[in-house]
Amino acid sequence: MEQIAQQIINWLALSSIYALLAIGFSLLFGVINVIQFSHGDVALTAPFIAMAVFASLGALLPGADLVVALIVAIFVVGVLGIVLERFLIRRFRTAPPMMALVATVALGIVLRELIRILYPDGSNPHPFPQLVPGSALSFGDVSLSWLVVAMMAVTGLLVAVLTWFLYRTGLGLRIRAVSQDIEMARMLAINPNLVFRVTFFVASVTGAVAGLFYASYVGLMRFDLGIIAGLLGFSAAVIGGLGNMAGAIIGSVVLAALDTLVQAVFPDGAAYRLVVAFVLVVLVLVFRPAGLLGRTVVEKV
Amino acid sequence: MSVELCGVSTAYGGVPMLREIDLTVADGEIVCVLGPNGAGKSTLFKTVAGLITPVAGTVTIMDTDVATTGTERIARLGVGFVPEGRRLFPGLTVADNIRLGHEAVRPDGADLPARLTAIGQLFPRVIERLGQAAGTLSGGEQAMVALARALIGEPKFVVMDEPSLGLSPKLIREYFDILRAIHREGRTILLIEQNAEMALSVASRGYVLARGRIVAADHAEALRASSVVRSLYFS
Ligand SMILES: Nc1ncnc2c1ncn2[C@@H]1O[C@H](COP(=O)(O)OP(=O)(O)OP(=O)(O)O)[C@@H](O)[C@H]1O
Ligand SMILES: [Mg+2]
Repeated sequence: MEQIAQQIINWLALSSIYALLAIGFSLLFGVINVIQFSHGDVALTAPFIAMAVFASLGALLPGADLVVALIVAIFVVGVLGIVLERFLIRRFRTAPPMMALVATVALGIVLRELIRILYPDGSNPHPFPQLVPGSALSFGDVSLSWLVVAMMAVTGLLVAVLTWFLYRTGLGLRIRAVSQDIEMARMLAINPNLVFRVTFFVASVTGAVAGLFYASYVGLMRFDLGIIAGLLGFSAAVIGGLGNMAGAIIGSVVLAALDTLVQAVFPDGAAYRLVVAFVLVVLVLVFRPAGLLGRTVVEKV
Repeated sequence: MSVELCGVSTAYGGVPMLREIDLTVADGEIVCVLGPNGAGKSTLFKTVAGLITPVAGTVTIMDTDVATTGTERIARLGVGFVPEGRRLFPGLTVADNIRLGHEAVRPDGADLPARLTAIGQLFPRVIERLGQAAGTLSGGEQAMVALARALIGEPKFVVMDEPSLGLSPKLIREYFDILRAIHREGRTILLIEQNAEMALSVASRGYVLARGRIVAADHAEALRASSVVRSLYFS
C-alpha cells in the first residue's frame, strides 16, 4: 500500500517534468517545423547556470537568495533559446529534416561539452538543492514533499498561462497562424522571425523550469542529464502527438506511468526507462502515427 | 501606380519561369491576368507578394520596392492578398482569420467591430460562421472568408489568384458583383483568373500569360475579341 502511494507520487513528479519538456518540443516543432533534439540539453543548462549565478551572487552580496539565481537562470536559458534559433536553427527550417536532425544533435553535444568544460569540475555530478524543503503530508513511510507539490502547481500554472497566451492573446494567435501557414501569415504582415524568437523563448523557459525541477528532484546535476531529459521529453511529445499541447501533456502522463511502473516492478528498472520509452514511441508510431491525440493536421499548436 | 513590374524574370531552381514581364496597374484600375494552366500565373502572384524574388527586374508596389521590403511589410502598406487555394488558417476560427486580415493593415486593431459590421453586409454568410474552424467550411464559404479577410482592413490594393475557382456559376456572379462593388469604392485590383469571360467583364485591361511570357496586353473588349484569347480558351 505504502509502496503504491510512493509510486503514485513519483509518477506525478515525473509527469510534470516530462510535460514541461514535451510542451517545448511540441511548440518548437509546431511552429518552426524542426525537431530540436538539443532541447533537453538547453533545459538542463538551467541548474548549472542557477548554481553558477548563486555562487557568484553569494560572493557579491552575502545572503542573496537562491530564488534570484533561479529566475536569472530561467531568463538566461530563454535568451539562449533565442540565440540558438537566430544563429543556427532558423537556417534549418527549410532544409531537409535529416540536416536539422544532425545539426540539433550536434548542438546538444556542444552544449553538454561546454557545461563540462566551463563549470568547475564539470565532469562530475554536483549536488543540487531541494528547491522547496520539507514534506506537505506524511503517513507512515510515505511522504509527499513540498517539492512535488510545488512542481505540480508550477506545471499547472505554466500550462494555464501558456494556454492563455496561445489562445487568448494577439501574439499567440500569430504564433498559431505561422505554425499553420507561414507564407499566408507573411501576406498578413506577420513577421515570422518575431514569432520564432518568441516561441524559442517560451519553449526554452519552460524547458529551464523542467531542468531545475529535474535536478532538484533527483538531487543532483550532471552535464549529460540533458540527453536523457531530451529523449524522455521528446518521446512524451511523440506519444501524445507532436505539435499539440494537450497531446504533450497526455503523452507525458502515460510515459511517466510506464516509467514508474517499470522502475517499481523490475529490480534494476531505471536502466530500462529509455528502452520502455522507445518501445512505446515505436508502438504509437506504428499504430497511431499522429500520436494519441492525432489532430496535427488541423491544429498544430 | 499601384503595382509596376519591369522586366521581371523568375526561375525555379535555375529553370526559367517568368520571362521579362512588364505589367502595370494604375490606382483605381481593375486589371486581369489570364493564362492557361502552368502559364505562370501563381508564380506572378507570389512574385508580386514578394514570396519569390525575381532573378531580374523589379517589382514596385505603391512606390515601394518589394524585394528589399519583404512580404510582411508590403501587406502593411495596405495590400490585401487572396492566394490560390484561399489559404485560410484551417485550425483558426473564421473570426480569427478575419481579425488577422484586419490587423495586417491596422496593427492597432482599431474599429474591428465597425468593420465586421460593414463586411457583414457584403458577406452575410461569413458573419454567421465566425466561431467555426475555417478548415471545416465549405469551398464556397472559404472563398468568401478569404475575400473578407483580404478586404476587412480596407486595403487600397487587392491581389487575387483564381479566387472564383470551384465556385458555382451563381456564386461566381455574386463574387464578381462584390469585386465591382469594392472597385466602385476606389480600390485597385489585380485579378489573376482562368475564367476569361468573367474576368474580362469586370476588368478594364488585361494581360495574357502563356509559358511565362506576356503574349497579349490590351483593353478588355479588345482581348475578348482577340484571337490569342480565343485560341487559349475557347478552341
Ligand atoms: N516551387 C516550384 N518549383 C518548381 N517548379 C515550379 C514551382 N512552382 C511552380 N512551378 C512550375 O512553374 C510553372 C508555372 O506554375 P504556376 O503555379 O505559376 O502556374 P499557374 O499559371 O498558376 O497554373 P494554374 O492555372 O494551374 O494554377 C509550372 O510548370 C509549375 O510546375
Ligand atoms: Mg495557379
